[in-house]
Amino acid sequence: MNLKWRIAIILGLTAASIWALFPRTVVERVKRNGVFVYDTVRRVPLKRGLDLQGGMHLALDVDESKGAVADKSKAIDNALKVVRNRIDEFGVSEPVVQKAGNDRIIVELPGIDDPQRAQDVVQKSAFLEFQITDKTEALEKALPRINALVKDTRVNVASNAAATTKDTTTQGLQSLFTADTSKKTDTTKTDTTAAVGSTVGGPGAFSKLVQPGQMPGEYMVAQSDVDLVTQYLSMPAVQAALPPGKVVRWSSDTLSFGGRVYRPLYVLDAKPIITGQYLTDAKPNSSPTEGNLVEFTMNNEGARRFRTETGRHVKDYMAIVLDQRVMGRPPIIQSAIGAHGQITMGGKDLQAAQDLALVLRAGSLPVPLKVADVTQIGASLGKDSIHKGITAGVIAIVLVVVVMLGYYRFSGALAVGGLALYILYTLAALAGFNAVLTLPGLAGFVLSIGIAVDANVLIFERIREELAHGKTVRTAIDEGFRHAMSAIVDSNVSTALTAAVLYQYGTGPVRGFAVTLLAGIAASMITAIFVVRTFYIIWLNRSRSAQTSLSI
Amino acid sequence: MFRILHDTNYDFIRWWKVMAGITIAFIVLGLGSLAIKAPNWSIEFTGGTLMQLNFTQPPDVGEIRSTLDAAGIHGAEIQQFGTPRDFTVRAQNAEQVAAQSKGAATIANTIESVLKKKFGENAVRVVRKEGVGPRVGQELKRGAIIAILLSFLITLVYLSIRFEWRFALAAVIATSHDVFTTVAFLKLMHLEISLTVVAGLLTVLGYSLNDTIIIFDRVREDLRKGRKESLYDTLNRSINETLPRSVMTHVTTFAATLALLLFAGEVIRPFAWVMSFGIVTGTFSSMYVAAPILLWIERKWPRKTGTRTSSSTATPTSRTRRSTATATR
Repeated sequence: MNLKWRIAIILGLTAASIWALFPRTVVERVKRNGVFVYDTVRRVPLKRGLDLQGGMHLALDVDESKGAVADKSKAIDNALKVVRNRIDEFGVSEPVVQKAGNDRIIVELPGIDDPQRAQDVVQKSAFLEFQITDKTEALEKALPRINALVKDTRVNVASNAAATTKDTTTQGLQSLFTADTSKKTDTTKTDTTAAVGSTVGGPGAFSKLVQPGQMPGEYMVAQSDVDLVTQYLSMPAVQAALPPGKVVRWSSDTLSFGGRVYRPLYVLDAKPIITGQYLTDAKPNSSPTEGNLVEFTMNNEGARRFRTETGRHVKDYMAIVLDQRVMGRPPIIQSAIGAHGQITMGGKDLQAAQDLALVLRAGSLPVPLKVADVTQIGASLGKDSIHKGITAGVIAIVLVVVVMLGYYRFSGALAVGGLALYILYTLAALAGFNAVLTLPGLAGFVLSIGIAVDANVLIFERIREELAHGKTVRTAIDEGFRHAMSAIVDSNVSTALTAAVLYQYGTGPVRGFAVTLLAGIAASMITAIFVVRTFYIIWLNRSRSAQTSLSI
Repeated sequence: MFRILHDTNYDFIRWWKVMAGITIAFIVLGLGSLAIKAPNWSIEFTGGTLMQLNFTQPPDVGEIRSTLDAAGIHGAEIQQFGTPRDFTVRAQNAEQVAAQSKGAATIANTIESVLKKKFGENAVRVVRKEGVGPRVGQELKRGAIIAILLSFLITLVYLSIRFEWRFALAAVIATSHDVFTTVAFLKLMHLEISLTVVAGLLTVLGYSLNDTIIIFDRVREDLRKGRKESLYDTLNRSINETLPRSVMTHVTTFAATLALLLFAGEVIRPFAWVMSFGIVTGTFSSMYVAAPILLWIERKWPRKTGTRTSSSTATPTSRTRRSTATATR
């Protein structure tokens, strides 16, 4: 190949690489004074992985603990849209929401600083139902039977308590409470159930825990008995004893009467008069009388159905049920209600109202999701990792340069020139392919600096052999490159194949590692075979004296 | 010019029996201890919770442990991580993993809240938090094994095309030897097997394979020249001829590995360890596994078209290794 062409190609590659890595202005969602706004920023277009910039990674599976889901893949597809809507509104710069395999959603939120809230927003089912409270005294009628059942199975309850409490503490709106409240119940449950085992039983074991409230279908349970009642209610026999067509739901709030704290329990008509599917908008608001609340609007069809149904139920009480929790105390229906309504938040802060409005707008999750995998990395750790990685990289480069210059002298200098271009090309390839630079990727890159000179070493050793055989410098260089070629190609191709397998079967950080490896292999072959060869040709053409001796 | 190990003429393969003894002893030791105690899988594989915590004051480890025990998190592994103010907490026993089936973050949240209660809201900072459900771990383990087996298969096919099946098989066996020695090394060093370490293992395989290929490339070249010498001698000569290259490449690779080991931080250290060992085992297996195996395969299935191999093919034990061919150089 013509020397001019060679130089042109190298210059072209170098220019393209510099262009690929040049800090550029991009419009990006960034945080300014605590809020996310679109703004222009200048940055080097190298994407950092979560482990280098901090953030959160979530893998979500369909939660089948409440019942099997027939078509998981389709359910996940639908859930994906909802999760994506929610994340978009949540405000994160460059979030990733994607389907992994058939039944998993991967959510990546870089640079997030309130992970618990983010997780709640993603995971909340946000299934909204409007249900009329029971007017038929269904629970009272079933009480004798439940009492009998509870009495019989007292021992069982005590021993199963651990399992059932766990079930109930982690679901529904409970996730809105800070995690440590739900944990507190976990840690104390053994004591409660032990004590309970001795006090329960006897006639009226269940009914003495449950007192009638102020409206039809409302019952008051002392806060200390909530776990026990929950356990009783989750027993299959008790479930069977409950009247058909009715469901039992806890309130999301507690009430105080005469110094005691109660949690209302509601018996509701199982069939909701309407669900949240007709919702078109939801906004957080705050009122002096009712505290924080969420106002919602329904579409035309929803409004029509809502009007008809509420018209039929005037003077009844309507429970607003979100994720199987009754929000606030059910209001009485004064007259037919149209397109607008509100959900009171009962003492929770405005952010809770904002988050609820957000998830209601984005729609409810078609299936409950559980977190299968979570990684959360602080921004400071990411910075620290980058800093250490760069330190290690610089030291590796210095060591390799010293070794190459010390051993191969002039030729070593050519190899070092090649190495500089290798680093440039590799980083440019990573930027060009939009690859994500992870910590293992960074480590792989540092390592590759040591391995990258291998091709040079192979060639140089060949040239030395040829020179030892008494060949002229020009011939020795030609032969050296020619003979080293097959070894370089075969070893690099087999490494590239391994890297491709890693990419295919790896996840997250390992994938980043494989991409770095692949980019490195390509760049090292180009620099060692093509670039360094060109350096030699330039050198041979420039000085006549060089023909007789080569510093290698 | 300054040269090291130039024009050497060591009979490397002669020592193959001793070397085989050493490596088998090492593997048996490592895998034997593996049978006694399971390897140190990271939570990515077992499922569980990992927290990296930064305290404002160096805390008492016993205090952390008792706080966690009181919260019902038993058997968590608490380790200093770099500075005396940084700790990792690992809860990865079966009980803790099962507790995560409802949500991967539950244990982590408990740990965070009880420690904050104990040491003060601002005295503990969660630097990193990982919660992995058991299913994810199983998938990863399977993925890692598939990746290794698949890379073997692809290597076998590629080398069979570029060389021939005898070389390919010898190279793959040498590489699998490195899997065993590296796993034994991981076990003996009590290194945690994380995804990054698996990536390191695969890099070692690639590196070792490179080394074997460089030697085999010489053998291939020499065979084409049709020298009148036994394969035993050809192999030995190829190892000697590529020796300066091997030394130089190991030096530069080791320089990079050393930089990682010393300066890249705790997270990368296990990876750097694996790589350091990989340089040793990769070199070793190219000389003492790949070469003797190739000789053994040659003896078992001699090449038909070879002009010289079938009659004079040396076995690793052959005493005719110093043939006249060496003198003709």
